[in-house]
Amino acid sequence: MALGLGSTGARTYLYAELVEIGEIATRDDVSLLVVSLDTNPFFWSTFSLSFSDFISHVLAFLNSILLLSQLNQVVVIATGCNSCAYIYDSSVDSSHGSDTSGMPALYSNLLRKLEEFVARDEQLGKAQMQGATASSLLSGSLSMALCYIQRVFRSGPLHPQPRILCLQGSPDGPEQYVAIMNSIFSAQRSTVPIDSCYIGSNNSAFLQQASYITGGIYYRPPQLDGLFQYLSMVFATDLHSRAFLRLPKSVGVDFRASCFCHKQTIDMGYVCSVCLSIFCEHHQKCSTCGKYIPKFCPAYRGDKHNGNALG
Amino acid sequence: MSTGQVIKRAKYKASVKDPGTPGVLKLTEEKFVFRPNDPTSNKKLEVEFKLIQSHKHTKEGSNKPPWLNLVHSQGSYIFELESFPDLNVCRELVGIALALNKSGEAPPAISEEQLSPAEMALRIKLLQEDSKLQKLHKELVASGKLTESEFWATRKKLLDKDESRKLKQQIGFKNSMIFDTKPMSDGRTNQVKFSLTPEIKNQIFALKPAVHQAFLKFVPSKMTEKDFWNKYFRAEYLHSTKNAVAAAAEAAEDEDLAVFLKDDEILEKEARKKVRRVDPTLDMEADQGDDYTHLPDHGIFRDGSKEVSEAQNQLYRRTLLQDLNRQGAVVLEGRNLDTETEHLKSVAEVLARTRQAESDVDIEQERRNRLSRMTQIEDLQAQDDNHFTPLCIKDPREYFDSQQANAVKTLDDSQAGMDQSRCNLSSEEAYGSLRASISKIKTMGLSDPLVDPEIALKVHTGLTKNISSTKYHLGKNSKESVLDILPNTTKDQLLDHWVCSQELLRHFWSSYPITTPNLNTKVSRLKDSISQMYSKLEEIKVTARSDLRHQLSLIVHPMQQVLDAALLHYDADKRKRNAKGQKPNGYV
Amino acid sequence: MPEVRIIAKNFMDMVASMPAMKLDKLYDNGFICEAILRSLPPLGKKYVLQMLHIDVQVTAKSMEEWVLPDGISKQKVAIDRLVQLRVFIETVDRKNEKSYKLNPTFQRSLQKLLVNGGTLPREPMPSNITVRLPGLEDLEAYALEQWECFLLQLISSNQVERPSNISSSLMKVFQRRLMSQRDREPPRLTESGFQFLLMDTNAQLWYIIREYISNSEARGVDAAELISFLLELSFHVIGEAYNINTLTDFQRNIIKDLADLGLVKLQQGRKESWFIPTKLATNLSVSLADSSSRKEGFVVVETNFRVYAYSTSKLHCEILRLFSRYATKHLLNVEYQLPNLIVGAITKESLYNAFENGITSDQIISFLQQNAHPRVAERIPSVPENVTDQIRLWESDLNRVEMTEAYYYDEFPSRDVFEAACDCAREWNGLLWEDSKKMHMVVKTEVHTHVRDYLRRQK
Repeated sequence: MALGLGSTGARTYLYAELVEIGEIATRDDVSLLVVSLDTNPFFWSTFSLSFSDFISHVLAFLNSILLLSQLNQVVVIATGCNSCAYIYDSSVDSSHGSDTSGMPALYSNLLRKLEEFVARDEQLGKAQMQGATASSLLSGSLSMALCYIQRVFRSGPLHPQPRILCLQGSPDGPEQYVAIMNSIFSAQRSTVPIDSCYIGSNNSAFLQQASYITGGIYYRPPQLDGLFQYLSMVFATDLHSRAFLRLPKSVGVDFRASCFCHKQTIDMGYVCSVCLSIFCEHHQKCSTCGKYIPKFCPAYRGDKHNGNALG
Repeated sequence: MSTGQVIKRAKYKASVKDPGTPGVLKLTEEKFVFRPNDPTSNKKLEVEFKLIQSHKHTKEGSNKPPWLNLVHSQGSYIFELESFPDLNVCRELVGIALALNKSGEAPPAISEEQLSPAEMALRIKLLQEDSKLQKLHKELVASGKLTESEFWATRKKLLDKDESRKLKQQIGFKNSMIFDTKPMSDGRTNQVKFSLTPEIKNQIFALKPAVHQAFLKFVPSKMTEKDFWNKYFRAEYLHSTKNAVAAAAEAAEDEDLAVFLKDDEILEKEARKKVRRVDPTLDMEADQGDDYTHLPDHGIFRDGSKEVSEAQNQLYRRTLLQDLNRQGAVVLEGRNLDTETEHLKSVAEVLARTRQAESDVDIEQERRNRLSRMTQIEDLQAQDDNHFTPLCIKDPREYFDSQQANAVKTLDDSQAGMDQSRCNLSSEEAYGSLRASISKIKTMGLSDPLVDPEIALKVHTGLTKNISSTKYHLGKNSKESVLDILPNTTKDQLLDHWVCSQELLRHFWSSYPITTPNLNTKVSRLKDSISQMYSKLEEIKVTARSDLRHQLSLIVHPMQQVLDAALLHYDADKRKRNAKGQKPNGYV
Repeated sequence: MPEVRIIAKNFMDMVASMPAMKLDKLYDNGFICEAILRSLPPLGKKYVLQMLHIDVQVTAKSMEEWVLPDGISKQKVAIDRLVQLRVFIETVDRKNEKSYKLNPTFQRSLQKLLVNGGTLPREPMPSNITVRLPGLEDLEAYALEQWECFLLQLISSNQVERPSNISSSLMKVFQRRLMSQRDREPPRLTESGFQFLLMDTNAQLWYIIREYISNSEARGVDAAELISFLLELSFHVIGEAYNINTLTDFQRNIIKDLADLGLVKLQQGRKESWFIPTKLATNLSVSLADSSSRKEGFVVVETNFRVYAYSTSKLHCEILRLFSRYATKHLLNVEYQLPNLIVGAITKESLYNAFENGITSDQIISFLQQNAHPRVAERIPSVPENVTDQIRLWESDLNRVEMTEAYYYDEFPSRDVFEAACDCAREWNGLLWEDSKKMHMVVKTEVHTHVRDYLRRQK
């Protein structure tokens, strides 16, 4: 009688464990979330939702992201009127638990940094001319987020999957059009989705385009006292899970561009045939590249009606 | 060629089926006149070319008779000519006449472009190949929403592609050696016959410049063409019989014959010319010793027989290798003139002209120029003029400074449109309140529970509803598209309308800003079509089955939105243009 | 057939198998909730978050709205897991439609954790009391050393210079499946033992801890309390000192065992004594093998099947030598050994021995890959492809013949009896081969008795 090579019970047991460990050991859902936080004082002082309510929802959201996996990472960039700054990085700040104020270390650290940032931002605003801008420096914080992500990309092959979340309320600054579009395209190139949670009253064309181009989610929560619920239901979804989930999609995207000369959002304009700069009126010479533009060369500004139903 | 007037016999046909009325067609640059042979017939015609939009004709070689079709706005005049050469003459004049009349008429933008028959055929072919395109064409052009040229203007690519595909290939020389034009000998008589075609003659000229020169020199003056060729082939024949001695003897007798036997001179000159065209910094002197024209045959012999080499007859000996090289060179050069011109004499002249074009002097001059260019010392040379301006971003600082200034300046207007009221708080107050909020949260902590359960549930159901409503018409894969649950007719209709409205919109938006009155009429025409489309969509929505109505309206909604946007823009633009006395630059 | 038994596959399964009462008690602790949350599949995490503030039932249907067709199975797995862990409480209404809500205890704990942060039952000791606190690197080195020491003791008790305090009875428990003890012979590694050695540290730790917990009831220790303490421990800050006096008696007993495993380091001050959690402890709650915690590799495999192992580690040498001692041959044909280097070659014979010991080619390859020397670890693949392919081929060579225990029947009295016997064997699904001409047949051992009884009855 031959003795089979069949498995013994114990071996099956151990093997099953190995398989199980293998299954769990996926890093699929490990994320790096870079949050751009709108701290525009002019917006917050007139907006219906108070900044303290807003920040408390956001803090809880950030904490819940960190709760989901030990390897998750959160970076927060404050987007002010005059400057932007990193105000929180979970990979640096590893202290867990709470300090004396009975608040998680995450919250107290972030709030402290935020206070410092606001004070600095105010100083910068005073130094510059009066007549402060009402829009936040979204372009700046997007660039900072992308820089951070690039550093993570270069750190090695085992980096978490990065995504950017813009928590924005103040209206678009058309003067940042070029810079923002550049950031959007570089995010697209490095396949970093930009999610946008826009709480302002009108849709933000910039963020709509950003999310549309980079494959992120754009959503404008209609009920702001449930902000955390929106954040946790929509924006907490990791990139791995997005492959098999339905998430809100914006129906129409405003693709209008800003002209380079007056930074106005325009429907129709003139495009330099050499460098593709956009102008709202005819110029003898392109101000970007100096190329002479022949007269009577109106340009059609692209397909505004892209969000079609049948395509 | 154009005499300004052409008179041909032709039959006038009111339609393709019409057997035709025989008569005389008289064409001038202004008009055409048809007079029937039967003076009582009422088929007299006198039409100015102004009224003719385009012309078509049947092709030679097709099984159709030679027809000329002059298209006017109501139909077309068809003339059946007696022969294709007649047709060609007429066609030429019609082309000129139409072009003349068109250019003098309205601005070219609205005028129907002059189509060559080939282009017309291409368009017809494209339409036949693509049933969708045909449908669209029928819908838009036939109904007058777009003109033919407008329709095709957006499909230039399609036309270009086909154009390039059927680019005419030039027929080169045959690759076979015509040096060996074999004589036909009937065996009984001591006679050989060479059959010559113009093709072969051409080839001989190209291959043997000496023959060519002789032809130009002798033919009309000294001997007839027939005699010339007789002499030539005699020489060839002598040569091919390897009778170099006999050849030499004959050459001594007949100086004309000698010419054919030594064409090396010209070839060598050409070879030298070619060598001079090589990069002048290359030292070709060293290669001169290897001149292939002096090399023996490497043991390859014509017709496989051994050639007896005799030093004194060197002159009359051509090597196979030489012939091969020459043949190759000529074939590669290709023919650059229309050999269909049958007159041999003229061909010969043309050939000679092309060859003479570059005179030795020119070549030497060019060589010198090139030499100076290649060996120039960069510091001492004047900068070459740039034929293009390199793309450069002007001083970036200046650019960003102006951007900053512009930003501040235009902020007020750009904000005005938004219903976001610009805060009238000072920056201190604003920052103060922000700081207060932060310190409030710092002392109070987060409220617990963070979200009211009822609100959380409300948000949850709201989002879920949102998701399930977009589930169908923005579903990830096309399989679950709501289109499939619609009845087929509705689906087709919708798709047609969609394609159609896309096309209309493309034309609509591309005609802005309105710079010519012509664009103005086009836009208003398009606007009408767009509003028609709008009501059609509305109709589909209303007539749909009640259970589908919701889904359908979800699909139709964005379609109507894009149309709305166009209509709105039309109104706004019209108002603006009416209101503004002073037109902005570029606008009419 | 190997017997089917319900195995607690990982820590969380052990949690899931606990009675509801005890689970609810566990969920009072925010940290345990966090650990549970982290162990969930991605969709499960999302569901917990989105239900966190909802206190009514949510229908399964409305949750399905969010899932694309490809994700249905994942959703099912996630929900099953949540229900299994009693994080979701399922109710089925009259229309047989399921709906879920979050376990209120769990919900409350997690909400609190979000708002207030978690509070450990003990604070780190102020630095003026503690002295000689080890640095993070020292601590890690200590933990690994401790762990290797434990492993050495586990596989060959007599090799250890500095035996740990783990009682021999407990050690027996750990060795239960890994070592087989025959009379008077030194203990041999079983197949599972070999596989155990090839696993990475985290997986080994899992195995040991699991054994520790499952044996706890026998030692008179409450499993729930043990799990709760272990999870709690995993949320302590690495390198901070915690006073031993804050522990209960029960916990104080356990912490000694844990110190032997390298999960904590115990230190004695002038008056107080304290424990310092190491990385091994904090890794307990991580459900995945955190590759960043992996130690530096030491193995270089060349395309000519030669293997260089740079190691001074006793355990590494021991693993390699163990193979040689107990399995007569070993994973490698060791060619020569220097103080910090072992050079050998992978040969067909050495691998056949490994396969006979129940080690699969995948395990060998993953062992070589996981322990690849940093120089080659950057390369892809870190182990040459021709070597990995050959290892797999050698293994499949062995599997060409499948052996089954069987009985051979011949000399049937008549064809009828033979055919009846064949049918009988077929009915039992145990007929392996028959030769109807010569009337021979072979049946599986399992059905031998049935066929024999049948034939007896026929007589």
